[in-house]
Amino acid sequence: MARRRRWSLTKAASWTFSVVALAGIAGLAALFAVQSLPVWKHAGWGFLTGREWFFRESLFGAAPMIYGTLVVAAVALALAAPVGIGAAVFTSEFLPRRWRLAVKLAIELLAGVPSVVYGLLGILLLRNWVYDALEPFEPLSGDTLLTAGVLLAVMLLPTVMTLAEDALRGVPGAQRAAARGLGLTATETVLHVTLPQAAPGILAAVLLSLGRALGEMIAVFLVVGRQDNQWPAPVHSVRPLLEAGQTLSSKLGGAEINIAYGDPLHWAAMAGLALVLLLLVTTLTLLGARLRRTDHAT
Amino acid sequence: MRRKAVHHLFRLATGVCAAAACGVFFLIVWAIASRGWAALSWRFFTEQIRLVGADGGIFYNLLGTLILLATALAASAPTATALALLHGVYLRHHPRPRRLLTLALTVLNGVPSILFGIFGLIVFVQWLGWGKSWLTGGLLLGFMILPTVTVSLMERIAGLPARYLEAAAGLGLTQSQIVRSVILPQSVGGLVTGSLLGLARAAGETAPIMFTATIFAGATVPNGIKENPVLSLPYHIFVLAQDSFDPAVGAKVWGTALVLLGVVFALSLLALPVRLKAHEEAREG
Repeated sequence: MARRRRWSLTKAASWTFSVVALAGIAGLAALFAVQSLPVWKHAGWGFLTGREWFFRESLFGAAPMIYGTLVVAAVALALAAPVGIGAAVFTSEFLPRRWRLAVKLAIELLAGVPSVVYGLLGILLLRNWVYDALEPFEPLSGDTLLTAGVLLAVMLLPTVMTLAEDALRGVPGAQRAAARGLGLTATETVLHVTLPQAAPGILAAVLLSLGRALGEMIAVFLVVGRQDNQWPAPVHSVRPLLEAGQTLSSKLGGAEINIAYGDPLHWAAMAGLALVLLLLVTTLTLLGARLRRTDHAT
Repeated sequence: MRRKAVHHLFRLATGVCAAAACGVFFLIVWAIASRGWAALSWRFFTEQIRLVGADGGIFYNLLGTLILLATALAASAPTATALALLHGVYLRHHPRPRRLLTLALTVLNGVPSILFGIFGLIVFVQWLGWGKSWLTGGLLLGFMILPTVTVSLMERIAGLPARYLEAAAGLGLTQSQIVRSVILPQSVGGLVTGSLLGLARAAGETAPIMFTATIFAGATVPNGIKENPVLSLPYHIFVLAQDSFDPAVGAKVWGTALVLLGVVFALSLLALPVRLKAHEEAREG
């Protein structure tokens, strides 16, 4: 009898804690969906496509923030992905073991640098550099979408690199040996054998980093300028890069969240931004996770 | 000859990328250390903030961050253990719920940290009426790092040699005796590594705690739950970074950033040997 009781205690505790945790995860997603309902009723799809956000006039259009989020993430990824993947190829394929550990140590630590520290570097250094570099284009300040993108690129670098390196290391050594045995150079082996095999894992690395880029708040918040309702005149114009903007997360991190709580519709609009962000990031996370799994299965 | 040249060029190009990545690391550490070094002194660690950050030290900020981390650890360790046991033991023969559990953790791991902050703002600050409280911050950080801790423990449990479990079962131990005397003691390293990595991330997070747990000045040691915020290192930097025109403040901000970097690096370095080994083993296997 005593045995049986103890058996159920460990098991019951495990289940209890797990159910609380899983309820928390479900609650997190449900909360934003439920709380944002009024704004979907109020604006419908216009919430996603509307270009104007004036909460005093009950105008809630999230398009400029979605635009800002995507542009900042695109700049960050365009810079971080090639460098990160290149660095991963070098450490995984060309570096001797001892050096590889040293590089990985630096990269692990780099990945741990808090985003508020990046924000501090951005606000006190990068912003001035960008302002000086862009002087011929006469930007209003150093707080631009471009600044946020560059800062974010540095933050993503260790993520891209670590995940891409994992993918490359997942390719069995025998494949490399066979390719070298056929007379391919180390570079040809990488380009024709290792990289194609690691491609799903590397794509996963890019997607997961993109997910992280979309959600990053603190560092972007400090250098993006937080200018509402910025919409590019021709949609493909690059001029907005040199101007201040707003992203979904920088909006959510601003003081407006405290103003919004008193007004159900305004609050619903903020919850709607959170929901859009959550859906974007979760989609990328799931795609990335799926690719990584198929990669590991081979 | 041409193939050799292509090889050297390719290796050079990727090498430059790797050097750039490492260079960024040293540049960041140098940028923080060279500016923050001067602010460090005994008083910096033992005094409280004065003159809106221009004078005094960061004693209560450091203490607040440690309180948040301890709470996050206390919340995440048992929960992660429970989830990992579910995955590795109790749902061992139920592949579908098991996959669902992994999926939930994957999704949670991707959730942007600001969303934890807003979740906490609604649930704890407003619904439960706690106001800003250290407990909210600790629970949110614990929730945020849950996937890191759980997956680390899960992998360790999955890697236990089958003969340990067979031997234990052969001795007539019940499932719960096996859990407590074989599985948990043998895999506790996974919990430790995961917790260290999680805490390293939690220590520097600002977004989950800025609306829910931390203020800039005027808090000391909490003496209850409701309306009991703490100071913290990341929020201190966050506030001063936006308003650091006073050079005296500037020096203190860099000093605070250096201390925060020290805390984060110390936690990651403690977890590192195990992690690097795991990566290399994955390669050989």
